[in-house]
Amino acid sequence: MKTLNTPLGEDEIRDLNVGDQVLISGYIYCGRDAVLPRVCSLVESGEIEHTDIHLRGSVIFHTAVSPAGVGPTTSGKMEIEGSFEILSQAGVKLHLGKGAIKSETVKMLKEKNSVYAIIPPVTALLGNNILEQRLAAFPELGMEALYELKVRDYPAIIAAAHNNSIY
Amino acid sequence: MEYNREVVEQVCDTLIRAGSTFLPDKKEAYKRAIAKETNTQSRWVMETILENAETAEKNRSPLCDDTGIPHILVEAGPDISVTGTVLDSIREGVRKGLKGLPGRPMAVKGNDLERIAQSQGMYEDPGMLNMAPILIRSINKDVLRIHVVMFGGGPAIQGHTHRVFHKHTVEEVKNQIIEWAKESTRKLGCSPCTLAVGIGRSHYEAAALMMQSMIDGTYDKQSETEQEITQRVNEANIGALGLGGNTTVLATFMKVGPQRASGVRIVCMRPCCCFEPRIASVELHGV
Repeated sequence: MKTLNTPLGEDEIRDLNVGDQVLISGYIYCGRDAVLPRVCSLVESGEIEHTDIHLRGSVIFHTAVSPAGVGPTTSGKMEIEGSFEILSQAGVKLHLGKGAIKSETVKMLKEKNSVYAIIPPVTALLGNNILEQRLAAFPELGMEALYELKVRDYPAIIAAAHNNSIY
Repeated sequence: MEYNREVVEQVCDTLIRAGSTFLPDKKEAYKRAIAKETNTQSRWVMETILENAETAEKNRSPLCDDTGIPHILVEAGPDISVTGTVLDSIREGVRKGLKGLPGRPMAVKGNDLERIAQSQGMYEDPGMLNMAPILIRSINKDVLRIHVVMFGGGPAIQGHTHRVFHKHTVEEVKNQIIEWAKESTRKLGCSPCTLAVGIGRSHYEAAALMMQSMIDGTYDKQSETEQEITQRVNEANIGALGLGGNTTVLATFMKVGPQRASGVRIVCMRPCCCFEPRIASVELHGV
């Protein structure tokens, strides 16, 4: 198991390969199809600089955040996979979710030196490893808002890196 | 409104168990799959899923953050009356159970079009989530038996309900189910799956049979056809979370109803995720 602590550096990402098992600790963002297009709009307009969202070296976990806990949703949803390029350009280093993504997305991740990882949907275990929780943006979206969590040892497997993929 | 308190409390407890507990035969199915899995990453995933189930059961907390849409099957014995009060009490028990689990607050607000567009957000109260229409069937035992099944979104995205036309052969239908299952388990992400299959004369009947297959199916005893479907899907080497390996599907639960003379079979195939069927049941006497 490799350990990853956020924020992630360029060299740490270069060292990751498809199939690597990793443990992720530190602050991560959580959002899925409702909020990620809005975050992309903030990036494209430059407004993100005036928010408390810091994407450089970050992880985005494709999940809602609710009293029921957290767990990965399908990353191949149009609004989620469609956010990969803009968010990677803005500094997101690891997109964390589940399910297959397109080969063109895998290629784009290589160009941006970012990776895609999958996480088992083990809500009960993940809940035990949430240390802090903060609503980061778009509170009107409820559980679909952008959240920031501080987590310890979230287990994941690198599913796409260096233009290779498990799919 | 007057409720039957026993029904309310028992349905509440049953829903929480459905959302937080693996039935014993599923735990054993996982243990068998882990023992024979040759892909180390897939084996690790299945071990983690089983550990998650043990933690969720101990805490009576959700197995998965997508706590699912409640679906209810009521079985009534010869002298049992399923009255409007009983149905309202089941609904109230579901509401209470969703608050207690807690269910994910995902009841979509708004009128018909607003709900489709999801333009008005969601209720914060998990109890606002309506259950699906209740399914009722008769049984010989003189009890009221209530099954609660929680349907998550991933399998709903990847499932199929479609006609299988042409050729009056079982092979044609099996091949279609296997083709759908390979495609959907590859995309689902939350494998290993359990395939729930209903085959009937209409979309409604096929879906109802699929639901019943989850309740009647068992991992311990599989028909030859169910075993064959499981084996042939597992040959695709998709594995847990799509990581490869010999356990893409733990089992197949199939329920076949009456069929049309015209040769068209409506097949409903749900690739239940690694936690599904999330199911619990209760028997009530003297209701």
